[in-house]
Amino acid sequence: MEDIERRTHEQRSYARWLAFGVSVGFGSLVVSFVVYMTRLLAPGIAPEQLPRYWGLPVAEYVKATGAPTGWSWVMRLGEGDLLNYVGFAILASVTMVCYLRMLPIYLRTRERAFAAICVAEIAVLAAAASGLLLPSP
Amino acid sequence: MSILGRLAVAAAASAPVFSHAGLAGPSLSAPVMAWWVWPILLFITTFLMGIVAVIGGIGGGVLFVPIVGGFFPFHLDFVRSAGLLLALCGALASGPGLLRSGLASLRLAMPLALTGSIGGIAGATIGLALPTRVVQAALGVTVLLIALLMWWTRNPDRVAAHPADSWALALGLHGRFRDPALGHDVDWKVHRTAWGLAAFFGIGMVGGLFGLGAGWANVPALNLLMGVPLKLAVGTSGLAISIINSSAAWVYMNKGALLPILHVPSILGVMLGARVGVKLLKRVHSSTAHRIVILVLVLAGLRSLSQGLGF
Repeated sequence: MEDIERRTHEQRSYARWLAFGVSVGFGSLVVSFVVYMTRLLAPGIAPEQLPRYWGLPVAEYVKATGAPTGWSWVMRLGEGDLLNYVGFAILASVTMVCYLRMLPIYLRTRERAFAAICVAEIAVLAAAASGLLLPSP
Repeated sequence: MSILGRLAVAAAASAPVFSHAGLAGPSLSAPVMAWWVWPILLFITTFLMGIVAVIGGIGGGVLFVPIVGGFFPFHLDFVRSAGLLLALCGALASGPGLLRSGLASLRLAMPLALTGSIGGIAGATIGLALPTRVVQAALGVTVLLIALLMWWTRNPDRVAAHPADSWALALGLHGRFRDPALGHDVDWKVHRTAWGLAAFFGIGMVGGLFGLGAGWANVPALNLLMGVPLKLAVGTSGLAISIINSSAAWVYMNKGALLPILHVPSILGVMLGARVGVKLLKRVHSSTAHRIVILVLVLAGLRSLSQGLGF
């Protein structure tokens, strides 16, 4: 019984953090897309120019348009199209934040296997987010 | 014609036939249609896709990549990235509800998602390094195999009694959930855990490579391979996708494969369509929906294959 209660608590805790992160992520995505489409912030690439480039492979697209790779978009958030990256970055980060929340719970209950899985997943997600896993061009 | 049949025809009609720019080399010619037509067409197509996907019992990503990759002008690199993020958004949005209701198990998802995440990163990295034609042909073959798998597993939940294996016992992969349809609690445990971990690595790799959501493979792996009851398998699959696709999504984002004009209308369209689909679910026979989804997958798979082979 205690085991079931503990698992329910874990799941609810994860769900609470997930729900909050998802709301913030979706909210950012919708707001930034409205900003982009209404040109409240000038886009780096005007939408009417995009059909010339969206059929290119991503490497050629980046070369032709100067679109950001890695985290360089953070320095260009004044561009309406790149502002959309914020929402995507939040949505792709929510899971890592939830795992960071779960880690102390597993450490406190001395569940070493799940604490280790948490650490490993956080490391995998952080490595993917850092861009370090990408082969250099 | 059934409601779903009419929707499928409408989705096909709304998807414009377009010479795939990604396979025709650099496309710096003058655009044929005004730019703003595309996000509107995408929204309509993905809205219908969202309805059909929910009623057919699959994620939107598996329909999105072959259909948008085959009939819209965006390069497959961007379409795969959008498919992956679309599946991620759907899984993230449903995650809290599934966890609170107990229809997904966090403990079951965590070890499987770890191997899936590693596979997802590997798949996304390989996919972005391969020539487009190779990816397109492989996508066609994969989608046809998915259709075959969906046909083969059309009567799932053949879970026989089985003892838990040593891995499952060590990780405590067992529990109880309330099945609202049955009106009572169902005890569950898993077996073949090592095979399950290996399967999720492979599924994650395919998902990352092609930008497909992985519910089509996660659910049979959990249900038929590991012996998880179907309802819990469906919920846990969604939770696992939200973890696995987060890692692969970063690979595409870091490479610059993010086109808000493609990604945002598609995500909004599928998510709104899924909400409508949930409401229509009670009025449509699920076996009809299943057959229509298989038919759409076969057509989209054949188109992908023919594009990849240059026919």
